[in-house]
Amino acid sequence: MITGNLKSSYAADEQVLDNRWKRGFLLACLAGLAAIAAFGNNYVILIACQMGIMLIAVTGVNVVIGYTGLMSLGHAAFVAIGAYAVVIFHNTAGAWLPDSVATVVAIPVAVAVSALIGVIVGLPSLRVKGLYLAVATLSANFIVIFLIEQDVFAPWTGGMNGINTPAPNLLGWEMDTRREQFVLIAALAVLSLLAAQNLFRTRVGRAFIAIRDRDYSAEILGISLYRYKLMSFAISAAYCGLAGALFAYFYARILPEQFELDLSLMLVAAIIVGGMGRTMGPVFGVIVIVMVPEVITVLFGAIAGGGAELAQIRAPIQEIAFGALIVGFLLFEPFGITHITDRALRALNRWPFARG
Amino acid sequence: MGQILQFAINGLMSGAIYALIAVGLVSVFKATRVVNFAHGYLIMFGAYFYFTFAVLVPQAAWAPEWLQSWRPEWMLAMRADLPMFSPMAAVLDWLANLPRIVLGLIGALVCNALLGLLIERVLMRPLMGQSVFAMIMLTVGLISILSGAAQLIWTSDAEFVPSLAPNTPIRFELFGSMIFLFGADLANMVIALLIFGGIVLMVRYTKSGIAIRATAEDQSTAYSMGISVPRVFSRAWVLASTTGAVAGAILATRNGISPSLGLFGFSVLAIVLMGGLDSYLGVFVAAMVVGVLEALTQWQFGGEWAGIVPYVAVLLVILVRPYGLFGSKEIERI
Repeated sequence: MITGNLKSSYAADEQVLDNRWKRGFLLACLAGLAAIAAFGNNYVILIACQMGIMLIAVTGVNVVIGYTGLMSLGHAAFVAIGAYAVVIFHNTAGAWLPDSVATVVAIPVAVAVSALIGVIVGLPSLRVKGLYLAVATLSANFIVIFLIEQDVFAPWTGGMNGINTPAPNLLGWEMDTRREQFVLIAALAVLSLLAAQNLFRTRVGRAFIAIRDRDYSAEILGISLYRYKLMSFAISAAYCGLAGALFAYFYARILPEQFELDLSLMLVAAIIVGGMGRTMGPVFGVIVIVMVPEVITVLFGAIAGGGAELAQIRAPIQEIAFGALIVGFLLFEPFGITHITDRALRALNRWPFARG
Repeated sequence: MGQILQFAINGLMSGAIYALIAVGLVSVFKATRVVNFAHGYLIMFGAYFYFTFAVLVPQAAWAPEWLQSWRPEWMLAMRADLPMFSPMAAVLDWLANLPRIVLGLIGALVCNALLGLLIERVLMRPLMGQSVFAMIMLTVGLISILSGAAQLIWTSDAEFVPSLAPNTPIRFELFGSMIFLFGADLANMVIALLIFGGIVLMVRYTKSGIAIRATAEDQSTAYSMGISVPRVFSRAWVLASTTGAVAGAILATRNGISPSLGLFGFSVLAIVLMGGLDSYLGVFVAAMVVGVLEALTQWQFGGEWAGIVPYVAVLLVILVRPYGLFGSKEIERI
């Protein structure tokens, strides 16, 4: 039970961040991000950008898996669609638009295209759930990547060889350094998290949660499964599309193989590690999932000093560590890191009277 | 017409191997209600074990000569009289390899069975009674662990591995058109079908098979009737990992061993869902249909299109029949 959180008006109760600790936390986070943008070295910026992009995608996956309870193993496909939509938009329609406007139009277009494909991929969710849906979305992922790789679409997608991507240009602000791009990514990541937090105090978000808890009961309560399941897929695909758009802007070149099953599994792993159906879950999960391989790299560098033989076993060890994270959290902490922080905060809140 | 037949037969042969892989998935699902996403990687381990015992061990310095290549007097005598490329020479080549093939198969079966037991004991059993999501994600985590471990253990890419049967070319006429096959492929198909049939019969008639079916029907009732459900679980995993080992050995002889062998498991997963998770018949039909469709696609559109045939097929089938062609509908209590 949370104490000291008294509300005296409905307006106060309905706020997105409903107590001052949360608001303080948000401000602290914003200050931290500003500090990274101002003082972080190139390595920190690079890692932070990767985290930001992944965070947006994982927030999307959290909508569909964590809140709506639909199992999806194919969300990398939406990231791919977002990324390729941006590139294709710049290479075709971008020719008529002035450079300074193209980015501002391209990102919403990518998000919209992803959401649309999300509805299509979500169609099986009306018929099947659980495992069957996982395999259906997995199949969709394979098919999307396969289509991108085809020679027929190669003039637009670059086929197997990938395609060069443009740099973002925000109304005349040419963002050609990583640091500038970080500002864009961080801003969008914070906004997406707030939007996700907001979603779950609305009618739509509550419908999602009702479907997750018991789909038949939700239907009896008058929630249209048909409508809300597809909406859930659309929203999560839109998040992933945004992540894909930023991915395309951030890297100089995108390849179809970057969006294969590995990425899908990484997105799902991040919410398992972080905690499903919680706003902060994706944040913790992404930090762990991105940091663990980096820490392993640093450790290997410290031990071996970069010997070629040790470098060869680094990749498999990173892979094993990734799998061990999923397995370990499922076995020992199935509610993820948010559960650990919950316990810690609760103990702090009650201190010195009770712990746990 | 002749080509259709040729490709259809090729398709049936790969369909049989799909069926052999699928039988492991179905058995584990029937007994434990877990769908093993990492089954492909179990197969990859089977292939690597076969490679280890059939190629690496005989090459070792301490291995006896005959293990590497068995050449008794009579074989050399027979060999001397034969012309090049005669079917008999292929059989003799195979006989010379026979000791290491047998060693490879036995090694792969035993090691993979142990691996299956280990996975069941350490990872799956603690999750007994948990949500489907947790179990599936556990096998997803297992994918990374297994593929990383395989890269750690077997750093070299696998070279040639001896095929399970003499690789004589076979030609015959069917409906007025020439059909051309390799003996090893045909033997692989026969092995796969025999194992598939054997397992179906075992599940139908033997005591442990009936225990598996009872557990599939209702776990707690099976428990109260004196069936040791945990033992059924480990049996199912051993069954899956040993059939996976055979399938891995066959795949290794067909297309060589690489970490990408694990991806094979996903297409078989699609096939299993298409046929119906708990139906051996359905899975068999689906495996054969997908095998033939793949071969025909390969013929018409080229090899890369064949790769997505199972996924397109499963999507179409799931949209029309959510529980697969022959699967039983899941009934939920509210």
